[in-house]
Amino acid sequence: MPDTADILRLESMQVHFPIQGGLFDRVLGRPAGAVRAVDGIDLNIGRGEIVALVGESGSGKTTVGRVITKLAQPTGGRLLFEGEDMTSVRGSSALRPYRHRVQMIFQDAYQALNPRHTVFDVVAEPLRSLRLVDNASQLADRVSEALAAAGLNPPGDFFARFPHELSGGQRQRVVIAGALAVRPELIVADEPVSMLDVSIRAQILQVLVDLRDKHNMALLFITHDLPLAWSIADRIAVLYLGKLVEIGSADEITFNPRHPYTVALRNATPQIGGNADRGKLPALQGEVPSAARVPRGCRFHPRCPLAFDRCREEEPPAIEVGPQHLSACWRSEC
Amino acid sequence: MSESTVRYSPRGRTRAIKSFLCQFLGHGGAQAGLVCLVFFLVLAAAPNTLVGPLQTAINATGDFLVPPSGEHLLGTDEVGRDVLNLVVHGARISLTIALLATVISLVVGTSVGITAGYYGGRVDVWLMRLTDFFFVMPSFVLALVITPVVLEVMGRGGDILGFRPSLFVIIVVIGMTSWAFVARIVRSQTLSLKERTFVDRARVVGSSNIVIMVKHILPNLLPQIAANGALVVAGAIYVETSLSFLGLGDPLQPSWGTLLALAQRAGAASAGAWWDLGAPGVCVLTVSLSFVLIGNALDDTFNPRRRVIP
Repeated sequence: MPDTADILRLESMQVHFPIQGGLFDRVLGRPAGAVRAVDGIDLNIGRGEIVALVGESGSGKTTVGRVITKLAQPTGGRLLFEGEDMTSVRGSSALRPYRHRVQMIFQDAYQALNPRHTVFDVVAEPLRSLRLVDNASQLADRVSEALAAAGLNPPGDFFARFPHELSGGQRQRVVIAGALAVRPELIVADEPVSMLDVSIRAQILQVLVDLRDKHNMALLFITHDLPLAWSIADRIAVLYLGKLVEIGSADEITFNPRHPYTVALRNATPQIGGNADRGKLPALQGEVPSAARVPRGCRFHPRCPLAFDRCREEEPPAIEVGPQHLSACWRSEC
Repeated sequence: MSESTVRYSPRGRTRAIKSFLCQFLGHGGAQAGLVCLVFFLVLAAAPNTLVGPLQTAINATGDFLVPPSGEHLLGTDEVGRDVLNLVVHGARISLTIALLATVISLVVGTSVGITAGYYGGRVDVWLMRLTDFFFVMPSFVLALVITPVVLEVMGRGGDILGFRPSLFVIIVVIGMTSWAFVARIVRSQTLSLKERTFVDRARVVGSSNIVIMVKHILPNLLPQIAANGALVVAGAIYVETSLSFLGLGDPLQPSWGTLLALAQRAGAASAGAWWDLGAPGVCVLTVSLSFVLIGNALDDTFNPRRRVIP
C-alpha cells in the first residue's frame, strides 16, 4: 500500500450549473433550477495512489476531473492540494505552480491534440508555458524523455508528425507524454483507454502503472468500467448522480460490494464463461434520472430493488461497513 | 526554436500544402482568377518600364479623345493622355489601396471576433454591439461622410507612408468600415473552436489566454480568414472606385475610380469615347471578379467536408 499522506482532498465538493429560465418563468417568479452535476463529494487521494472513479455517463465523474484540473469552478466545497486551499485560485499565472504538479489525460486523444501542432509542439507546450526549461536543447531533451516514457520510440521520429499521421494508440501516448513532460505528482486520467482498441489498452494502462511505480505519481482514473478499475486501482469510488455511493479498496468494491448500485454495476458486466456466479439482484431498470431533478431521499431509490420507506424520505450518509470501506445506503447500517 | 525541429523536416506540413495547392489549382474559377490577378499584379509592379512615366496634361503624348489606334492602343482622354498609360498606373494605386484596406479590415475584424468569441459574456456583448453598429451602417455612406471631414482636418498636402493624405484616408476608411463581417465570421468559428478539447488541454498545461488565442485558435481560423479576405478585397476595390468616382480620389495619384470620374466629367459617354470609360471600368470588373473567384475557390477548398489541410 502506498504512502498514506494525502496529496489531494475534495471536501463536500459541489458543482451546480444554473438553468437559465425562460422569460415566462422569470415573469411568473418560478425559481430557476440547477443541474447538480457534482453534489457534495468527499474524496482523498494519497501520494502514489491510484484511485478509480467509476460511474455511468451523466454521473458527474468528468466534472470531478475538471474541477481538480481547474477547468471548472466548483460552486461549493473545497479543493485542497497538500493541505493548501486551491478552490478560489484562478488565472494562468497564479495557477502555474499547481499546473506543474497536476496534469490531465483526456478521453479523446484526437480532439485533445491541435490538428495544426506537431507532436513536438504538443509535448513542449507545457514546458514552455510553465517556464520549466531554459534553452532549446534542454527542451528537446525533456520532450524526448517524455515521449520515451510514454512508449514512443525512438522519440525523434515523432517530433515532426501531425496528429492525423498517428494511430489512435500513438495519439493517446502523445497526450500522456504531454502530461508527463512536467513530471507532475498527480494525473487525472479521464477515460484514457475507452476510445482505444482492446489490444492497445493494456499497453497504455501499463504505461500509467509504471509511472506510479517509478515516480510515485498519484492517479485519478475516471472510467465507467468496473473490471478495468479493479485491474489498475488501489481504491475505487463509485459515483451515482453526483454523489459517491460507495468507496473502498478495489478488492472490497469488486468482490464485496455493499451498495445495491455497485452490486448492479458488477452484475451488468459481461463475463466470459457464462454468468454462474451472479449476485441475487436483477439488472438495473430504467435510466439515470436527470441531474436537474435529483430524487428526494436516497438518489438511487427509484431504481433500487431494495428500497424501503426510509430511502424515499432521508438521504443516507456514508456509513462505514468495513476498514476504509464506506457505503451510502440505509441497508448497510444493519 | 529548437534545433531538433529544424533537423526533422516538417514533411507532414509540406505534404498538406502540396495537396491543398493541387485541389485549389484544380478549380476552374481559381485558375481564371489567378491568371487575371497575376496579370494585373505585373502591371502594378512595374508601370514605368511597361508604359513609361505617368502622363499628365503637361506631358500628354496625343491628341484629344483619339480612338484606339496603333499609336495609342486604348486611345487618349480629353487632355490627350494615353489611356493605356493611365490604366496601368491606376492598377498600382487601386490594388495598393484595396490590399492595404483589406489588411486593416482583417486585423481589426480578427482581433475583435476572436476576443469576443473567446472571452464571451460582457466582452462579447459589447464588442458585438459595436460590430452590429458597423455592420448595419452602409459602409459606403459612412466612408462618404468621413473622408471629406478627415481631409478637411488633415489637409491635402504632404504624404503619409508614401500616399497622398486623400488616398491614406480612403484606405483607413475602407478598412474601418469593412471589418464587421470578418469579425462575425471569426467570432462564430472561435465559439466552436474554444469548446474543443485541445483548448482545455492548453489550459491544463498552463497556457495563458493570449497564447491559446494566438497559437491554438488563430491557426485554425486561417482558412476562413483567407477565403473571406479575398472577398473583402473585392469589396474594397468596389468602394474605392465608387469613392473616387464621386471625386474623393486624388488627381495626382489617379486610381481607376478617379479615371472613371474624369472621363465622365469630360463627357466621354456622350462624346462616344467608349475607350475612355471602358478601359478603367473593365479593369475594375476583372480584378473584383478574380478576387471573388479566388475567394470562392478557397472557400470550396477549405470546406470542412473536403478540406485537405488538417
